[in-house]
Amino acid sequence: MSLISYTVKRILSMIVVMFGALTLTFVLSRFMPGDPVLAYLPQNKPNPQLYAYYTRLLGLDRPIWEQYFRYIGDLFTGNWGFSVSIAKDMPVWTLIMQRLPRTVDITILSVVIASFLGIKFGIISAKHRNKTRDAFFRGLSLVGVAVPVFFLGMLLQYFFAYQLKWFPGTGFKTREFPDPAFVTGFRVIDALISRELYIIFDYLYHLVLPVFCLSFISLAGIVRQTRSSMLEVLEQDYIRTARAKGCRERDVINTHAKKNAMIPTVTIIGLSFAGLLAGAVLTETTFDLKGVGQLLVDAIVRSDYWVLNGLVFFFTIVFVVANLLVDLLYGVLDPRIRY
Amino acid sequence: MLEQEVYEIKEEDEIKKLGLITKNIIKWVINNLKFIFIPAYKLNALVEKEEKHERTVSKRKFIRRFKSFLTILGIILVFAVVTMAVFPHWLAPYTEADASGVFPGTWANPSPEHPLGTTSFGRDVLTRLIFGARTSLIVALPAIGLSVILGVIIGIIAAFYGGWLDTVIMRLMDILLAFPGLILALVFISVFTDLFKTDVRIEYIMLAWGILGVPFYSRLIRGSVLQAKELPYIQAARVAGAGNFRIMFKHILPNVIQPIIISVTFDIGGIILSLAGLSFLGFSDPQLIDWGNEISRTRERLYDAPWASLFPGFFILLSVLGFMLLGDGLRDALDPRLRDL
Repeated sequence: MSLISYTVKRILSMIVVMFGALTLTFVLSRFMPGDPVLAYLPQNKPNPQLYAYYTRLLGLDRPIWEQYFRYIGDLFTGNWGFSVSIAKDMPVWTLIMQRLPRTVDITILSVVIASFLGIKFGIISAKHRNKTRDAFFRGLSLVGVAVPVFFLGMLLQYFFAYQLKWFPGTGFKTREFPDPAFVTGFRVIDALISRELYIIFDYLYHLVLPVFCLSFISLAGIVRQTRSSMLEVLEQDYIRTARAKGCRERDVINTHAKKNAMIPTVTIIGLSFAGLLAGAVLTETTFDLKGVGQLLVDAIVRSDYWVLNGLVFFFTIVFVVANLLVDLLYGVLDPRIRY
Repeated sequence: MLEQEVYEIKEEDEIKKLGLITKNIIKWVINNLKFIFIPAYKLNALVEKEEKHERTVSKRKFIRRFKSFLTILGIILVFAVVTMAVFPHWLAPYTEADASGVFPGTWANPSPEHPLGTTSFGRDVLTRLIFGARTSLIVALPAIGLSVILGVIIGIIAAFYGGWLDTVIMRLMDILLAFPGLILALVFISVFTDLFKTDVRIEYIMLAWGILGVPFYSRLIRGSVLQAKELPYIQAARVAGAGNFRIMFKHILPNVIQPIIISVTFDIGGIILSLAGLSFLGFSDPQLIDWGNEISRTRERLYDAPWASLFPGFFILLSVLGFMLLGDGLRDALDPRLRDL
């Protein structure tokens, strides 16, 4: 089977899973805290007639299967409802898009930093197997797996923000600084467009601690995986051949071994990308970054029905698509795999 | 006279030599062909004895592989956490009532009376930490027990029967896996609280994590059952007249349970971590003394009373680390091929 037919097959099975997930969110949404009708009612007027009117308007008096198709249709046409308590009457889609940039920024930065350092540490660890450096990096990755994100975040806040005053502890911008003119919502891009470089530096300066926190967590898995697959590759015959023909050790590692050892590591990186979304919930709460993760917690605490609904849908899509991409990337990276 | 003596001595020597050779032959026969001389009725006892010997040898090897520094550290940490959970009344400097009472000396520095300082209402931090260990284990163990039991049953049934049942069950598991764990757990808990009109209760958290762990274990066991059900001993059991359920749970299960045991040890740590995350976000029983809960309440005072929120985090780190090290060591000892993973 070729890559194309494999892709098609994977996408089809993803659609099946996606619909299952949507059904689950539909069932959950019937039990979620908050009332969907209240979101549409004019505030502070508990009027039974109006309530019944909006129930009919939203189709909540219809048979359950009709509600189901309506629900799915609404989600795909971007009709995600309105926020009740977090930002009154703001469309959920706008609210999510407002909060998304911070989450995307810290996630991408952490993935880049974690994979760059993780691969490097993993290779060093494999090269000096069972020596001091190996033990150090293995210990570091063990702590990385076991440490709670928020504990690490609070340690960083206490020592680097409060004691040493090197970095700001919470928030994502200095209060007096203005927002750049709104173009994409991403602070870095907007500031680049309006040529306000100090805003970029201020923003990145605020992100140092959260990104350190998140990347430390995902570093662990990458180091472990790189180390073990590197050790496996270094046992192979072609590595011995390369050494026998007189390659420098650096070339053996970088050109012969690294490429083949990277394949399982890429999988781990892709999966950690999805896992970081969940880690972002805790990190954003710790550092008060006002991202999507924090929005989710707010939506549950303040029972904001439509926001919660939209966010669960959003996270599910991101998660499923990330998994699919990892699967496909695997095939592209390793031509030996034929499906 | 002399010649004769010499001759006799020589003869004696030769006789001795000959005796030695026969003795050696007999020794060899006994050693290597002893089963010829063993009466049939003693054979079973002998085999048993040999098996016992081999088992002690492999047990010794197991213990030797188990005796690495990190594993011992893990055992010590787990032992400490379990001790704190079982005997908090003997270890803690104050009683449980004191740990949630109201006293003067709020947010006090660490002192001889309060080794780790005090938190709000002058409650002793150390006492609350020791009582918190119980909560962690009380939630983590039932949750993981639920997911293992359900996951194993579902996984075995899916793999054993195969066909459409397998497809349906595995697709359902895929759907559950399609959500990020923490987010689905949050939604589950909020749904439960809304459904039963109560505060967040510890049972909801157990139930949520119990359900979320099911797909993982059923996938894990499905693979090994698929392999095991093709082996000859299953056919032998079937010929002997065993029913499907007997084959599944008496013949296959004991042979495929090992990876589950290893991953459970590992996952207890993971669950403690996730629970701490949930209570950090404020989703936990407010009546309980809980490490994550402790952090979420004292976080506001991080800068002027760091001991109140940093020590609980440190305890979470240590207990998670303990279970993970133990799981690592167990895996190395039971399955040395995976050593370098």
